[in-house]
Amino acid sequence: MSRRSTDPGETIKIGFDEILYLCGKDGVVGIVKAGAGQWFIETEEEEIALFTEEDDLFVASGFGTDERMIKGIRCMLYLVRDVGSPLIVLPKDHPACGRLKVVVSAGAGTTISCDITPGTHPEQDVLCGGGEFDGVRITGVAGGVRLQNIDPGKIDIRTSRI
Amino acid sequence: MCSVGDVVGIDVKTLSSSEYECLDCNNKFKGIGKRVKCPACKSGNVKKIN
Repeated sequence: MSRRSTDPGETIKIGFDEILYLCGKDGVVGIVKAGAGQWFIETEEEEIALFTEEDDLFVASGFGTDERMIKGIRCMLYLVRDVGSPLIVLPKDHPACGRLKVVVSAGAGTTISCDITPGTHPEQDVLCGGGEFDGVRITGVAGGVRLQNIDPGKIDIRTSRI
Repeated sequence: MCSVGDVVGIDVKTLSSSEYECLDCNNKFKGIGKRVKCPACKSGNVKKIN
């Protein structure tokens, strides 16, 4: 795994076979290119087909910073993108909600929030994460990932093969 | 865009999905994205119906 540094708003190049890690004090965020493809979102009531573009991203946020969490994020992104595991949405207030260790988003951009209140982010591009990630905007761009509102002093940026 | 896992903050009904019908195999499905294809037969010959 190689370490990277970035200025606010800098674009970091990653290939389709790479994963970008943002490592903070309380959590880790992993990012991969989704590529153009078809995925499925499964809810209690319906199935929704999700179609991503070449530079869209899968972003996984994990609550923990140890090696197991980094491996878990890598596995989660591999399961979703490479294995094609569907994205399963549990009903609100399901007992498993509090047991989830890793959460995933898909699309052109994701904003990390440490203060998500139920029902207050219908725009659906918000993913919960540790406090040091609050407000970080992650956007897929040609050949890489654009990071905004990030504090390089608090977040270590690394890349590795997925 | 969708996010999965932090389900306490997700209202799936707010997802910007649309209903489509495949004009080749008549499959009806919900989809999100710019280039929607039929999940059953992979045809891009689909029509937004709702």
